[in-house]
Amino acid sequence: MAARQTRPAGEADAIHRRHVVSALVVDRPGTLNRVSGLLRARSFNIESLTVGTTHEPGHSRMTIAIRGDDGHLRQVLAQLERLIEVLDVTDLTGRPHLELELVLVELTPPRGTADKRELEGVLASAGGEILTRDASVWRARLTAAPDAINRALEALRSHGLRRLVRAGAVAMAADSSSDIENGATPE
Amino acid sequence: MTAVPHPSAPQPERQVEPRIGARAVCEGLVREGVTTIFGYPGGTVLPIYDVLREFPLRHILVRHEQGGAHAADGFSRATGGVGVAIATSGPGAINLVTGLATAMMDSVPMVAITGNVPRALLGKDAFQETDIVGIALPVTKFATVVMDPDEVPFAVAEAFEIARSGRPGPVLLDFPKDVLQEETRVPHPEPYELRLPGLLRPVRGDVPEADELTEMIAAAERPLILSGHGVQIADATDLLSQVAERSEIPVAHTLLGIGNIDETHRLSAGYAGMHGWMHVNKMIQQCDLLIGIGCRYDDRITGKTSTFAPNAKIVHVDVDRSEIGKNVRTDLGIVADAGDLLAALLRRLPQSEPRTEWMAQLASWREVSEARSWHGSGAWREGRLSADYVVDQIGEATDHQATLVSDVGQNQMWAARYFGFRKPFHHLSSGGLGTMGYAVPAAMGAALGAPERETWAVVGDGGFQMTMQELATLVQDQIPVRIAVLNNHRLGMIRQWQEIIYDENYHSAELLGPDLVRLCEAYGIPAWRATRPDEVAGVIAEARKAPGPALIDFHLDEAQNVYPMMLPGKGLSDMVEGAAE
Repeated sequence: MAARQTRPAGEADAIHRRHVVSALVVDRPGTLNRVSGLLRARSFNIESLTVGTTHEPGHSRMTIAIRGDDGHLRQVLAQLERLIEVLDVTDLTGRPHLELELVLVELTPPRGTADKRELEGVLASAGGEILTRDASVWRARLTAAPDAINRALEALRSHGLRRLVRAGAVAMAADSSSDIENGATPE
Repeated sequence: MTAVPHPSAPQPERQVEPRIGARAVCEGLVREGVTTIFGYPGGTVLPIYDVLREFPLRHILVRHEQGGAHAADGFSRATGGVGVAIATSGPGAINLVTGLATAMMDSVPMVAITGNVPRALLGKDAFQETDIVGIALPVTKFATVVMDPDEVPFAVAEAFEIARSGRPGPVLLDFPKDVLQEETRVPHPEPYELRLPGLLRPVRGDVPEADELTEMIAAAERPLILSGHGVQIADATDLLSQVAERSEIPVAHTLLGIGNIDETHRLSAGYAGMHGWMHVNKMIQQCDLLIGIGCRYDDRITGKTSTFAPNAKIVHVDVDRSEIGKNVRTDLGIVADAGDLLAALLRRLPQSEPRTEWMAQLASWREVSEARSWHGSGAWREGRLSADYVVDQIGEATDHQATLVSDVGQNQMWAARYFGFRKPFHHLSSGGLGTMGYAVPAAMGAALGAPERETWAVVGDGGFQMTMQELATLVQDQIPVRIAVLNNHRLGMIRQWQEIIYDENYHSAELLGPDLVRLCEAYGIPAWRATRPDEVAGVIAEARKAPGPALIDFHLDEAQNVYPMMLPGKGLSDMVEGAAE
């Protein structure tokens, strides 16, 4: 109940970094609007926001990847928490969590075995696999943590990367106490 | 996201006689204790107006929906209840927005009901269609469209629960017309049936952090309480005085904290902030413990936060966790209802000895600051009519027992400084949003909500002209609001800023207005004009005799400024005091 903060919010602890926030929300029209609107009103640029249903009917889980100062973000998360549609907000940054992202890529088919082997190596580094291949285009998927995804995408630039679609990060707390989260019963 | 049934989906086994959604809305209002609603009809809410006579609900036909929203807000603030405004779809709904934002900024509970086009037409740019929920989202605590008649009973009950619980705020319910016309058999929920897992409710009861605060008080030599609106929202003004007396700590107040403590109380320090009393601001800068209770430490109180209360440990008590640490460094943050915290302190605090030195310091600062700026420029002493004198005389005439609703700008500061408030819920003002045009319609709501008290609106000629259409409402319903127009034929605060900050470059500060006495004659409202100090007491006495609304046009000395003043970007230690004083 006590919130002890000796640092002035948004001033002294202005560590600017990427945060991954997990929010349990009520699945109703307008919830996404309300959450994204609050972030917009405070000039946060959302890197990615994913939302999907949970095992609890009527509840959705949002994963928000966002860049910002620690102090500002802490204050915004407290404001998010007071939205009627928001049941729980957790900043996963700095605590154990799993984070994955799905990417679909379209590639020019490799020329020669060496090129193909290198490409497969890059895909393997980011949990990838080739999904379709024909003479003119290959399509593949990557599933990995954002860092690995970013490294693989950089490497794919020299392997005929033509198009990509990123799903945005999904994340889950992975410390020992997080198996039952705030009212949501475990499966 | 896919829509799923409303989380409070009704239990099908409990059914009642079918009635249309519009009746369910009215039943819900009556169940919530609503007696008065402020509205303006239109195509999509006509189903409600069609059944309104069946319910013990007094409908006040406002002249503009903004007036309705402010009236509902004024009703809430004067009574501690929940005001209700109704508007039709499209323009009607949009006209509520200023009032919703005003209520949101000041944590005022109210429920706005809007109609919308029938469900089949939603999203088709139908006549008078607008996405009012989308527009209202950032300026309401909650807003939703009710898409099924079966959801109506729960939606209304939830709206009131959300509006008044925890940190209060406005809620908007949008009803497509056919939802109001179709029948439902769903009963109204009992309180225990409301499931609002996302609603933050304060933990009630003892506040363990009061231990630490008690120790901090014991260690402090120059403590000060800064009390805000939250104390009145928690209905905890008596507790505040008791804590002050037990701990011998002086109590300052914010604009919306006016009435937290009787201004004549020996421990009342006074009004703090941008146009607050110098002695109060000095105390904030010199105290070694600042206990903010139910206030936001907003920029009109703190000025430059890096120089705010430099010698103090800062304590912040608020029911809303997101307020703590938002604006100023906080040494101890306590998330609690103001009343619970004060009660917890009372259980712990020993009776303190008088803080003789600290109070003597306050008294000497007060003497200087009141001598310098009491009655502002002092022009009234020279026979020129000044606003501070008018406000003071209204306070004297009503024995400081009237509800005073101020507008925004100089008039607001004069009212805050010179009326001399004694009780909670007697001062209403748009503090956070600073909504010009608030006073007259909000006073209308306040007068209906608290008819046992005399109600005065103190308003500048600028703000008055923004919502003066409500004069007709005052006449039609004979609502006894006394309007004191502090008329300087100027946008006074604009003029003041341009004089002090913009090198006397007066642009758009001069304001032409109608002859207010003749305007009132046209409306059938008794009205007087005063141009000299010796006329003031007489016209106030006359206006007080009027059975219905009355207006006094006080023609002021035009160049009067509000001092002291904290300039933008400056702190409480460098206030401008005004050359004339």
